[in-house]
Amino acid sequence: MKRLSFAVVFIFVLSIFAAPVLAANTFELVIPLPLTGKQAKFGEMMKRSYEMAAEEVNARGGIKKKKLILAFEDSGAKPETARAIVERLIDVKKQPIIVGEYTSACAKAVAAVAEERKTPYLIVASADDEITQQNYKYVFRQNQVNDHYADALVSFFRDVVKPRTIAILYESSAFGTSGAEAMAKDAAKLGVRVVMKEKYEAGSVDFRPLLSKVKAARPDVVYMVSYVMDASLLMKQIKELRVDAKLFAGGAAGFAIPEFIENAKDAAEYVVSATLWTEQLKYPGAGEYAEKYKARYGAYPSYHGASAYSAIFVVKNALERAKSWTPDAIRDSLKATNLMTAFGPIRFENREGYRNQNFMDTLAIQVQSGRFETIWPLNHASKRYIYPIPTWRQRR
Amino acid sequence: MPFVILAILAALPLTGLSSYAMHLVILVVMWSVVGMAWNLLGGYCGQVSFGHAAYFGVGAYTAGILYTKMAISPWWGVPLSIPVVALFSFFLGYIVLRLRGPFFALATLASGEVMRVTAENLVDFTGGTLGIMIQERTWVEKTWYYYIILLVATVTFVLVKKLAESKLGYYFVAIREDQDAAESMGINTTLYKTLALCISGCLTGAAGAFYMNYMGYIDPNVVFALHDISIITIMIVMVGGVATYWGPVVGAVIMVLLAEWIRSIPGLGTAHYTFFGILLIIIIIFLPNGIVGDFPKLKRLLKLQKA
Repeated sequence: MKRLSFAVVFIFVLSIFAAPVLAANTFELVIPLPLTGKQAKFGEMMKRSYEMAAEEVNARGGIKKKKLILAFEDSGAKPETARAIVERLIDVKKQPIIVGEYTSACAKAVAAVAEERKTPYLIVASADDEITQQNYKYVFRQNQVNDHYADALVSFFRDVVKPRTIAILYESSAFGTSGAEAMAKDAAKLGVRVVMKEKYEAGSVDFRPLLSKVKAARPDVVYMVSYVMDASLLMKQIKELRVDAKLFAGGAAGFAIPEFIENAKDAAEYVVSATLWTEQLKYPGAGEYAEKYKARYGAYPSYHGASAYSAIFVVKNALERAKSWTPDAIRDSLKATNLMTAFGPIRFENREGYRNQNFMDTLAIQVQSGRFETIWPLNHASKRYIYPIPTWRQRR
Repeated sequence: MPFVILAILAALPLTGLSSYAMHLVILVVMWSVVGMAWNLLGGYCGQVSFGHAAYFGVGAYTAGILYTKMAISPWWGVPLSIPVVALFSFFLGYIVLRLRGPFFALATLASGEVMRVTAENLVDFTGGTLGIMIQERTWVEKTWYYYIILLVATVTFVLVKKLAESKLGYYFVAIREDQDAAESMGINTTLYKTLALCISGCLTGAAGAFYMNYMGYIDPNVVFALHDISIITIMIVMVGGVATYWGPVVGAVIMVLLAEWIRSIPGLGTAHYTFFGILLIIIIIFLPNGIVGDFPKLKRLLKLQKA
């Protein structure tokens, strides 16, 4: 027993302090992700997408003839753990670039460490505006910032819906709050009156009190920002209470992933959502990636997956152009990225107070006969938008 | 013995540990502060609190608000959180300490959640769910963070030990064993329970203020978390040993290092939570008084197996 406990302690110490021996022909990239807890759904989709991209990279000869090996570590969406993972990657594993994480809270913790330790960090799907507003030199973000998530949706409002009033419902998280703030600002710009702006606890089981208030306020547009379960429950209860509006709109995340249609069923019909990516986009590789993902896992991926998938190619591209594989050289080559990916064109710019931020077109999608169709902007549209939408009474 | 351990701990950064190892060590020390603080109230005074996140969060937000609203170093939060949290726990204690046993536990559980929702909604004051982010943390090196939290831990340890060995400590234990009997012996139970709560809250708050400085980012879901703060605190003390001096420290070592080690076993994937849970269940079943509390039993078990 004593010997056994000694061995356990020994392995424990070894596993913390020993740097793994890397074979010369491989490049190992460890990616921190939330694989347990509330955000696990998104983490899983991103993990699968990273893996698919790595397979493709390796099938075409790897990165500079080195085989790319991916490994994943679960942060459980806890900032302390995310930080621990990244400290180990930088310090013990000497990984010259960090990719990953999902929630904004974790991304903030990771970004601060990456900046302090002068290691480039590529953010894949964390949307909080603040992260790239800190003037961090080593932090790059390829997804659009929350402030711009709804750009396409807002232009759809302006050109088609022309609402006079809007009700904004959002979950109490960094993502929900900044999404709601952005929409309130955009509404003011369009001259749309915000009749109601209320937050709710994520994971609520009953939205009826909130929705009764919406019903009484009779807004033209109901705009909601939430993650998966809340999004479908909101729409189901809107249907139950027959809350009618000219348009129901969602701000990406929970409204733009396949589970939304699966869970909300016919209540999801005609709902418009902002999103960053759809499989109908004409970017090179977008359709192929989506079909392959669907063939393997049974559903289309959302923008989270597409961003993760493309991130591997961004890393590959940056590593190939880097003069050496040191953090600083990789940072410089990431900065010079100009790459077309399945997620869209990627270029890291400094503007509007953001640094190393990729600005891209956002889209609006609508659920039409149980499928997401891209409806806005018109040059990306896969189907024409359906507007005005029928009232709940007319749908039967 | 405590001096030897303190000397070893003080010399730890000189051994050239990687910053990853230092991060874990800092977390261990921080959690042992929270554990020791909880132990004073839960272990000695017998008032099992499920809401220590409230004090942790108030401490963290004291530091954060000093930084955002008054533009002074959030390090001031560590000393200044003490009067703030003392006042806060006094008021909270005034409400929740009227309750006993499971009702007290539920009330404290609610108080943690109430604080989270409050912080989410006082947007102008706390920044709401967007949280507070420090632009630049004080040091890149971890050595000073370590010494600061080690100092807090040493003070906490000495304070808890002195208190437990004083007349006050006996009052606490008397209240734990039988509140009515203690009352009839002439102990002002309300006063001493409030005292235990305030001291426990202040120490937890100081750890919270340190967390703000160390992590550089807080939001209500992080520092007022029911599971990640309140429940973990209880687990630390339960695993280590309730009402023992070293219990919370041992518990923190186990909860942080073991969790991290199991998590990073390659190939285990997301099953790490299950394993960790099973391990905790085993510890609680076989060592109900915690590792320190049941140390003689543990020694006997190991010896028996050897023979």
